Amino acid sequence: MMRWILLFVSALALTSATYASDSSEGLALFEQHIRPLLVERCYQCHSAKAEKVKGKLWLDSRQGVAKGGAGGPVLVPGQPEKSRLIEAIHWTDPELKMPPKEQLSAQQIQWFEAWVKLGAPDPREPVAGAPVVAEKRGMDLETGRKWWAFQPVMEISPPVVSDESWVQRKTDQFVLAKLEEVGLKPSPPADRRTLITRAYLDLTGLRPTYDEVEAFAKDDSPGAYEKLIDRLLASDHYGERWGRYWLDVVRYAEDNPTSEATNPPYGFAWRYRDWVIGALNQDVPYDRFVKLQLAADEMPGTSRQDLVALGFLGAGPVYHKDGRLSKDVIETLCNDDWDERIDTVTRGFLGMTVACARCHDHKFDPITTKDYYSLQGIFASIVQVPRPLAEVEPGVEARFMAAEQRLFYLSYVANLMRGEPGSKPKEARQKVERFAAEIEQIKQEMSFLKDKHPEMYAQLDQLGRPPQPYPDQPTTRPVLQVASSQAPSTQPGRRRGAATGAANAVAAGNGRRGGRGGSTAPFFQAVFDAGTYVDGSDPDLTMIDIHPGEARDMHVLPGGNVARPGDVSPRRFLAVLSKDDATFHDGSGRRELAEKIFTDGKPLAARVIVNRVWAWHFGKPLVATQSDFGAQGEKPTHPQLLDDLAARFIANGWSMKWLHKEIMLSAAYRQASHPRDDAMAADPTNRLIWRMSPRRLDVEAMRDCILQASGTLDEKMFGVSMDADQPGNNRRTVYARVARGRLNNLFQLFDFPEATMHSPGREVTTTPLQQLFAMNSAFMQNQAAALAKSVEKRPQGADRVRAMYHQVFSRDPSEEELKLAADYLSAGGTTEQYAQALLNTNEVLFWP
Amino acid sequence: MAVTNVPSRRSFIQSLGAGLGAVGLMGILADQSRAASSAALPVHRFGPHIAPRAKHNIVLFLPGGPSHMDMFDPKPSLAKYAGQRPDVVNLRTERTTGGLYPSPFAFKKYGKAGIDVSELLPKIASIIDDICIVKSMYTFNPTHTPARSLFHSGNIAATRPSMGSWISYGLGTENQNLPGFVVLGPGGGGGPGARSGFLPARYQGTGFDDSQTRPEAMIRDLRNRQLDAPTQRRQLDLIQSLNRSHEKSFGEDEYLEGRIQAMETAYRMQFEATDAFDVQAEPAAVREQYGSSPFANGCLLARRLVERGVRTVHVYYGPGQPWDDHSKINRNLRQRCPDMDQASAALISDLKRRGLLNETAVVWGGEFGRTPVSESGDGRDHNPYGFTMFMAGGGFKGGFSYGQTDEFGFRAVEDRVSIHDLHATLLHVMGLDHEKLTYRYAGRDFRLTDVYGQVMHDLLT
Repeated sequence: MMRWILLFVSALALTSATYASDSSEGLALFEQHIRPLLVERCYQCHSAKAEKVKGKLWLDSRQGVAKGGAGGPVLVPGQPEKSRLIEAIHWTDPELKMPPKEQLSAQQIQWFEAWVKLGAPDPREPVAGAPVVAEKRGMDLETGRKWWAFQPVMEISPPVVSDESWVQRKTDQFVLAKLEEVGLKPSPPADRRTLITRAYLDLTGLRPTYDEVEAFAKDDSPGAYEKLIDRLLASDHYGERWGRYWLDVVRYAEDNPTSEATNPPYGFAWRYRDWVIGALNQDVPYDRFVKLQLAADEMPGTSRQDLVALGFLGAGPVYHKDGRLSKDVIETLCNDDWDERIDTVTRGFLGMTVACARCHDHKFDPITTKDYYSLQGIFASIVQVPRPLAEVEPGVEARFMAAEQRLFYLSYVANLMRGEPGSKPKEARQKVERFAAEIEQIKQEMSFLKDKHPEMYAQLDQLGRPPQPYPDQPTTRPVLQVASSQAPSTQPGRRRGAATGAANAVAAGNGRRGGRGGSTAPFFQAVFDAGTYVDGSDPDLTMIDIHPGEARDMHVLPGGNVARPGDVSPRRFLAVLSKDDATFHDGSGRRELAEKIFTDGKPLAARVIVNRVWAWHFGKPLVATQSDFGAQGEKPTHPQLLDDLAARFIANGWSMKWLHKEIMLSAAYRQASHPRDDAMAADPTNRLIWRMSPRRLDVEAMRDCILQASGTLDEKMFGVSMDADQPGNNRRTVYARVARGRLNNLFQLFDFPEATMHSPGREVTTTPLQQLFAMNSAFMQNQAAALAKSVEKRPQGADRVRAMYHQVFSRDPSEEELKLAADYLSAGGTTEQYAQALLNTNEVLFWP
Repeated sequence: MAVTNVPSRRSFIQSLGAGLGAVGLMGILADQSRAASSAALPVHRFGPHIAPRAKHNIVLFLPGGPSHMDMFDPKPSLAKYAGQRPDVVNLRTERTTGGLYPSPFAFKKYGKAGIDVSELLPKIASIIDDICIVKSMYTFNPTHTPARSLFHSGNIAATRPSMGSWISYGLGTENQNLPGFVVLGPGGGGGPGARSGFLPARYQGTGFDDSQTRPEAMIRDLRNRQLDAPTQRRQLDLIQSLNRSHEKSFGEDEYLEGRIQAMETAYRMQFEATDAFDVQAEPAAVREQYGSSPFANGCLLARRLVERGVRTVHVYYGPGQPWDDHSKINRNLRQRCPDMDQASAALISDLKRRGLLNETAVVWGGEFGRTPVSESGDGRDHNPYGFTMFMAGGGFKGGFSYGQTDEFGFRAVEDRVSIHDLHATLLHVMGLDHEKLTYRYAGRDFRLTDVYGQVMHDLLT
């Protein structure tokens, strides 16, 4: 810091003396021409924003220009002929040609000369917050290793509290100690009706029935609440509720942001969603749960069913890569895809914002570009393809997956060139025919699958769509003939069907099966290890080139620029968390990454998931920035509680169900949620947990509870998706389709996150458009009609109203509510209108 | 449900109009005394209060990439060297291209500054003195999807918030009964132009279908198909009495209170939005000026909406990307320009007549331009190296032409303006400093302009 200040001061002293010029002509020249040229042609290497500043020269402030670079001053105001900057842009000295790639135009050079002649006036101050001379900021490794979130977690003996009678679990002592520090009392326990409703909503996303509430309210046996928690944790609805939370973390969706020819929808993604639900119901330990999603196929002893976990990677978002784009553009798009994986894995599982280090070392955390590109190598060494559900010999499966990828891609490029040959039709045709021949050849090679695995052959056949034959090609087996004879046929051609080349390309794109509907074919979205390269050798067609079984180590890309690769950064884990220098060698390295997350990264991984689970239970995390445990993140409100719970979570085998129970049995969790004046004044946002935080239900619980209240909820589990607002779709919302292209209207209305990227946590809003949905949508009106119909056999009056209250709120109406109902219904209101009013009350959407 | 932001009095105020127009954060910050007791908002750092020149922003977006050499940027050299392929035009584009292709359209000079406009755009030519033409735009990607994303959000990745969302986030809206950021397009606006990305969902653009003219066809669930207004009011009164007694027994709560208010707003919106979105309520003479295409409806709606306090309106000329003229440019542009020309010009004149032009910044353009070299003989390929956009009102100079492309119109060479510069300038006229309008996400402060962009003061009065 001191050094920085000194540099700054000396630079200032220098400049104010040298650059007093304020020639308005010169300033105008500077603004109009010089500044844009500096920004565009010089800043890349000579500014605080540069990845690596060249020649210790900063041209982004007056002070930087004045100071000059490693070779001394670059500018003598008023004397262009003595200024090295001017010499450099003239390219007269072969050792000093700037900008190095392309010389400035004669006009531009003249502007620079004129500007220097006018005294080189320059109004720029150092970029706010940045030193004149940008030294490396952020945290070095040594300091970083001491960062709180990376320290081992240990069980902690809890602080002494004065009101020990309140304490139910160890957790409570940490909570109470903080409250007592500021003289706050916890809230009284919630009443039993509230408590059972809360527990149901929390663990299942549904309400208890009236009878369940009443039974629980009357059961004052000491173990009643614990038994309730056990029962709910054993319910299949638990996985449906908590699986959906996880799906936000892993940005689950069934298509791509644009879903074009090279990034069609994922027809089998729903199987991954079902796997998540099932795994949570089985209480698969969290460490294993995550590892399976990264590397199930590389973990010994894993069942075929658990390979479906690979959908996390297999259905990750990718951008369309139009083969007509340049190599640099395609490489950048690939980098964007890999960046998404790095971001989701590091923020999602480790609470680290590693993606910040794509262009430069992390500005605040001990993460370098080397770390970033080490991880990138892993994701550049895997390829997304569907894999068969059935067990097949590993050698066959490997060939199958490579064939899938190749056929899909060949179909894309062949149909692209066939439909849009551009201005070199002859060359285009040669390529199309070469691709078509390869498609046919691969199919032939794989035809041995026809007998034993017909569904696998069908998948290949569908992926490998030959292009439309040319008019002068024969119609029967056109491609084979071309391939074998190599001679242009003279037979007159006939068009097969009306599909154009472009339409074929789209059809081939959807060839992963399913399109919007999802497919029940026996495959799942997955990955296999193969190095992904971009082949730019053909100027008219940039190809993706896959090397199965190979892995890539990537170059650091300063500034994220694919055209300027730096040093190779071998695949390995984040340096700051690593206990050794081990690099990854097993295939892509994703299994090793998964292992490292739970060995070297164990304390961090545990803190991050415990914090998330806490937040889903309490509506408020202990670390407010749930996916950023770094220097820019928030510190925990209860650090000891977080550490102790994380340590015990690990000791209990990373069992999520253990964690839920531990949290829910606490007195803190069982508090009432009512506001209290004293506490609202002292801690309005409930950071100290003096009550349960009341909140609006998320869209899933809201929709499911309304379906449940109207009696139309379809509890069938699993299977292909339907749109959430599709008429007749009465299934739980977790089974609704999630699109990256365009979010479902209902989801968009109610704060569902965009599934193009990891979501650290939802923000809940309350908007008028939501209320238009409540008042006027067909969905709500249908539910009201169903609710009214379910009570129509009962006599009008209090009995009917009571029945509706039981269904909607699982409680009896009060006298006042009965009177309101009677008044409304006797003044002409219909049962249906009344039913909709009940469904639209705040109480329905409220987490008590 | 986990919430990233603590619900607080302030977030409750914000959410009232949300989705939808949040009350501007500036307004909220100004209202701090009232909100002093509640928790901190997430870290926002807003710029010094630049005096805003515009309160509203309308973007007329022509997806596909309209051809600048056939509309605003005449290049006689194209005719002189027709069919030839000098080295300077060997720039990589999306597809293979041929020789130089002269514009089939005649140009004349218009307005006090003698600005070139082609015969395709007589109506825009007639109001050229209200327009600021920039002929030296450039962008970074030759493909529609990334280039469009760049245009709307400053980045090719499909995850960043759009400029409309940024403006909503910075300024909120003036009318609580209407969305603060509206995107109009045939089939319903949406896509990257409406995206809120990592900004809270309430800053997302709300899409409406401007190929419809009835408000209830444009706004989902605007009408109650079962109840008339008095019956609906009675039902709402019942809901609110139940809500009130629930809130009374529970205790004062921001969500409970917020929803009671939002229901009232929604009830009123059924009638107010009906008015705002009803283009048929316009006098016949006005409607005739705009024309009757979806784009004309969109332009007319844009005026009605900004008139009622909507902050930002984007109008898409769609569906799809009609301005993607890879072939038959002569025929296509003659067919497609008239309604675009008429509606664009009508909007600007109409805003002016109502005194709204000086407080509304209008931006016109596509994601890139087209090549001077031919594709398929009579079309043009994508050109990110140089193209034309125009602005009007909201502090932009009228009758002003800025920047130049090279001899053939391929590359912007003089006074180059990037998309980030455009964004910086647009935020500036709206009163926002593009370097200070930031949002903390994933560990860093993001900007619409990332690390780029400068305000183009030359374009401003």
